[in-house]
Amino acid sequence: MNTKDIYQESPIVKRRKLISFFALTLSTFAALFGLFWLGFILFDVLRHGIQGLNLELFTEDPAPPGIPGGGLRNAFIGQLEIVFFATIIGVPLGILAGTFIAEYARGTKFAKTISILSDIMVSVPSIVVGTFIYAIMVQPIGHINIGGVVGVLFLSAILAIIFGGILNFIVNKLFPLKESSAGKLVSLVNTVITILFGVFMFSFLLPKLVDKIQGFNGWAGAASLAFIMIPVVLRTTEDMLSLVPWTLREAAFALGASYYRVIKDVVYKAAATGILTGVILSISRVAGETAPLLFTSFNNSYFTMNMNEPMASLTVTIFNYAMGPYEDWHVKAWAASFVITFFILIVTILSRFIIHIKYKG
Amino acid sequence: MKRLRRLPISDIIFALISFSAAFVVLSLIFSTIIVLYNESSLAIHKFGILNFIFTVDWDPVKEVFGAAASLYGTLVTTVLSLILAIPMAIGIAIFLTEISPHFLKTPIGIAIEMLAAIPSIIYGMWGLFTLAPIMANYVEPFLQKTLGQIPVIGMLFQGEPQGIDLFTASFILSIMIIPFITSVARDALNLTPNIMKESAYALGATKWEVVKDIMIPYAKLGIYGGIVLALGRALGETMAVAFVLGNNHQITTSLFDAAATITVTLANEFTEADSDIYLSSLFYLAFILFILSFVILAVAKFFLLKAERGYSR
Repeated sequence: MNTKDIYQESPIVKRRKLISFFALTLSTFAALFGLFWLGFILFDVLRHGIQGLNLELFTEDPAPPGIPGGGLRNAFIGQLEIVFFATIIGVPLGILAGTFIAEYARGTKFAKTISILSDIMVSVPSIVVGTFIYAIMVQPIGHINIGGVVGVLFLSAILAIIFGGILNFIVNKLFPLKESSAGKLVSLVNTVITILFGVFMFSFLLPKLVDKIQGFNGWAGAASLAFIMIPVVLRTTEDMLSLVPWTLREAAFALGASYYRVIKDVVYKAAATGILTGVILSISRVAGETAPLLFTSFNNSYFTMNMNEPMASLTVTIFNYAMGPYEDWHVKAWAASFVITFFILIVTILSRFIIHIKYKG
Repeated sequence: MKRLRRLPISDIIFALISFSAAFVVLSLIFSTIIVLYNESSLAIHKFGILNFIFTVDWDPVKEVFGAAASLYGTLVTTVLSLILAIPMAIGIAIFLTEISPHFLKTPIGIAIEMLAAIPSIIYGMWGLFTLAPIMANYVEPFLQKTLGQIPVIGMLFQGEPQGIDLFTASFILSIMIIPFITSVARDALNLTPNIMKESAYALGATKWEVVKDIMIPYAKLGIYGGIVLALGRALGETMAVAFVLGNNHQITTSLFDAAATITVTLANEFTEADSDIYLSSLFYLAFILFILSFVILAVAKFFLLKAERGYSR
């Protein structure tokens, strides 16, 4: 009897192999199980959603309850507007805070605390965010709408930055100055004009866009989505900035650049793809949120562009329509689900693909 | 201060702006706690803490409010969904690290993560229109005929199967939280040093024995972190559960009964609260949920940080 026979005939070995085979088969089934549900859900959304898809869905407002026809134009526009302002508020705040903890406060206790807290914030129940925003931006009727003010502030800051960039470009094209003292003066004048433009935009837009709180309003919806976006953007920015090699910054420092210039012209440029992907992912994440909108932007069966009124959003509309009694509502809810699901899936897959190519390829 | 003076003005301005952004993020968390506490103080003074938690009644007409029923629903759905999700999620993680052919790893990994990208309202709607009828007509009667016949355990499966109940809600939740456990567990399992696995193979271990005795103990902390993270997610999930749970403030032994969770109560009743004490009680519920999930997520973070430190050593 040689060793091979002993090894193969031993019942213990056979049993161990059998157990191994069995366990591994089970985990393969677990993977199939997960894929099965993904396929089932997507197929179901596709199957039901296709039936309700037509042009009227995007171009018409809802018909009165129980009467077939009409569309969800109000919800599509409302959703876009809320997500737009959430992005305007959440993305700059997230990127700036992420920059601070990854650059100026790199490695300090303060940075670590914020990093950990925002990791926790990412998973805080979104409905709690809704109640918080309700307490500060819906309940105090007659008070100043903080979310609206912040939204307009960021909007005018972004407009001013774009304006300043264009101004700089034009001035540099028109008067290509060689002397550094004159260049400094021109850039100082540019900065002052840009700031004045920003202040002007703010004071011009604020009374137009923001009223005192009258109850549920679109600004509150945007603020609650921004609350959810901020930690996501912050963490991505922090991660992406820390991926930029330190030597790159040192090279720029050696040329005499200030830290601000280094961040703006070197670090941001190097991390741009990653940050942009994070921003897109965070937009797709909040686009599907329902719970925080339930008691902030509420719902509105009429078309409105005014952020001071209750505002319809796709997700809240889906909730109301799906829970409602009419067959036509259910069809519309499925169609809206179809639009939102496939928008999110495509965006998510695309951005993962970009990350994959950029950082692993 | 000497260093600061040498900095150009643009640098100081940018540092200040980005610092205030970071400060805003920090203050958001604290103002959430303060505002929620403030809003719920009326209910806290009226019902106390322990009394509120252990009172089952939720009666807007008599203005008697207690969190017990909602907390019970939250607890049952969370625990049941974890029981269903953990074996599945770890199985998938093992498949992704050890069994899957290389070219399938990325696509299947992304597909599983897609489960987390689908908005929760889609889960809810799908649960209401597709899963609930399947549950009511096939799965639940089957469970009643089999597991329902066993004494004691059978108590869990009593009543008329409706499909709108704790069981369906937990099932949907379990699908939703699988990707959270899977992705953390997969990353942790992947970090097992090859040399350890090879040593085990050299001793004649089977693949399963390597997974069970080498990789899982090595990745233990990471897996715990993932589970606790998923627990935090399951606690706070609203829309998926709101569709399929009914909103029924009661404590039942059967999983086939409608119930309520904290999130479902908030979603259904917040805009309808007509008295101060009603609204304040709802804020109190939100406050409890916030504290609960904050603590649980902090624990998850603790495990994950510890795991990270362990691996880098």
